[in-house]
Amino acid sequence: MATETIEVAGHIVDSLLLAKILDTILDAGCDYEITDFSIGKTSLDPSRARIDVSGDDEVLSPLLDDLQVHGANRSEQREATLEAAEVDGVLPAGFYSTTNLATDVRVGGRWLPVTNPEMDCALVLTADGEAHTAPMHRVRAGDRVVVGSDGVRVHVPQAAPGTQVFEFMASEVSSEKPKALLVSRVAERLRAARERGAKVLVVAGPAVVHTGGAPDLARLVEAGYVQVLFAGNGFATHDIESNVLGTSLGVSIAEGVPTEGGHSNHIRVINEVRRRGSIAAAVEDGLIPGGVMAACVRAGVPFVLAGSIRDDGPLPDVLTDVVVAADTLRSYLPGVGVALMLASTLHAIATGNCLPAGVETFCVDINQAVVTKLADRGSHQALGIVTDVGPFVRQLADELLSER
Amino acid sequence: MSGASVGIGALTPPGGLAWGRTFVMCPPQHFGVLYEINPWMHREVQVDPDVAYEQWETLVTTLRSAGAEVLIMDPHPEVPDLVFTANAGVVNGGQFVPSHFRHPERQGETEIDAAWFADRGWKVDRLPVALDHEGAGDALPFTPEGGRTVLLSGYSFRSDAPAATALSTLLGCPVRPIQLVDPRLYHLDITFCPLDGRRAIIAPLGWDAYGRRVVEALVPEPLVLTDEETLSFCANSVVVGRTVVMPTVPPRVGRQLEAWGFTVAQSRVDEFLKAGGGCRCMTLAIDTVLAPSAPPTPTDAPATG
Repeated sequence: MATETIEVAGHIVDSLLLAKILDTILDAGCDYEITDFSIGKTSLDPSRARIDVSGDDEVLSPLLDDLQVHGANRSEQREATLEAAEVDGVLPAGFYSTTNLATDVRVGGRWLPVTNPEMDCALVLTADGEAHTAPMHRVRAGDRVVVGSDGVRVHVPQAAPGTQVFEFMASEVSSEKPKALLVSRVAERLRAARERGAKVLVVAGPAVVHTGGAPDLARLVEAGYVQVLFAGNGFATHDIESNVLGTSLGVSIAEGVPTEGGHSNHIRVINEVRRRGSIAAAVEDGLIPGGVMAACVRAGVPFVLAGSIRDDGPLPDVLTDVVVAADTLRSYLPGVGVALMLASTLHAIATGNCLPAGVETFCVDINQAVVTKLADRGSHQALGIVTDVGPFVRQLADELLSER
Repeated sequence: MSGASVGIGALTPPGGLAWGRTFVMCPPQHFGVLYEINPWMHREVQVDPDVAYEQWETLVTTLRSAGAEVLIMDPHPEVPDLVFTANAGVVNGGQFVPSHFRHPERQGETEIDAAWFADRGWKVDRLPVALDHEGAGDALPFTPEGGRTVLLSGYSFRSDAPAATALSTLLGCPVRPIQLVDPRLYHLDITFCPLDGRRAIIAPLGWDAYGRRVVEALVPEPLVLTDEETLSFCANSVVVGRTVVMPTVPPRVGRQLEAWGFTVAQSRVDEFLKAGGGCRCMTLAIDTVLAPSAPPTPTDAPATG
């Protein structure tokens, strides 16, 4: 799929030339978007249109030749300037710093779509002519990096059909929204994602376990509503602790009271998992009978656990090199259509930084500041829901699974 | 057409064209089918120079009898198609926009035409170099009663669509490009002949669907030619007041024109049809005014020849 911009001017309305050009584009199986149009004020004034034409490469080129006959010419476009990185992990000065919007780079007279939009990265052109974003540390000496902003264009996301939930939520994040309605709309989006084969990414914080939402999240994993899980040492530890010992941070999940010696429960659980080498091994061994992590292992849902400096243990699966952790997360992002951030601040923001703007993002947190911070990260489709995460996940699971 | 409307049309003929009283023509001393740049031209078909000259002179006489003034341009041995003066350029009062010919065989005509007009007081304005446009052969005005003159401009075989925009800017009049789709009808003037403020002979065979709609919207009472009538070149006619000088007169077309109050005069130009040109192709009206902003037509244009 490629996009080219054409321009046509003159008495293109009265002469039906514009109608003919647009019909010709559609007849060829391509699509158009009129990005700029000025209509002549009198019968003498020329009208002008700038049209983005998109279609398959092999159709687009002959189509544009045809359109030239009718006076529609490719607009003059500047090429992207490329400069080779001199040192591993260092970008050329003046590198183009990306947004999370869908982006195209113009090279060799054509617009190349950037395969993985991500903010605060560089644009790198591979030898086989593919344009992709690369975080600074991944750039290698000799990589061709786009410098300046010539030959780069970004697309502001268009509201896709069926995304009214976002229009509904376009107002400020607030705890005053009717929760039941929100839950059912989130459920609707998850169902829609499943129908179109898009992946759902869940980012979960420890509060999901503390508030009793873990069994419901596990139900969602088992039912196939989650394709990737991203979390930290805390979430995984408390999920395992609650399933092995019935407590979360030493507090009984069932009774809500601290248990004797409970303060060390999570350390002991981590130790036992470390003894077995991995969470998967501990599930297989029967140590971990249930919970979100066990559900992921059993359902083959990949999880990425990113560590931090305050982690106990950590669990053997935790990636303690943050750069490796971020890159691992990135490797699971292609195909993600919906991101559900559940009571997580740091991991949610880290994920938000990596996601293309087109991914529908729901951020659920009891703290309005966290929700606002995430929703404001420039993601055009981020929706904040201020609520207690446990009941939210339960309602969501009930809504999604009750029909089954 | 019903008898009633014929009667009313004949009794109250609408005003004729405001142009078409002064023409420039070029005698066919050097004319012949020396190359093939349209489907009608075949080098093995010989033109009889004497017959050609006789037919050309008859056309001049016919036009003069109809009340037209005909100026004569000197022929030139290197450009045999100079005889088709309709392709010299577009005239707008005292402004002349010379053609940019698509085929190298005719490109030598441009400066000869430009010089002819410049010498006689016309202001010569040029199209952008990259754009082809073959003058009045691909651009004919229609002025609806009480409306503004619109120039219809054919494109694809000889002229470029964007030339319409360039012409509009130069001339100060709306120009609507019409796509020509039949290679046999390679110029607009084989498919369109304005008659007055309501009527025109039109040949939809030559146009795409959009072009047809544009002309239908512009011309209230078109005389729509059948394909057979179209290919007889009868739209390539010259209108002088209420007289229509035609290379061929299909019976139905002749009857309709007469019913509308026109006098039909046939002027055979068979030798020129061998090169794909009819009566209109051999004339260029130099009294067309397309926009109110046009400079005045030079009054000191002497008849030569």
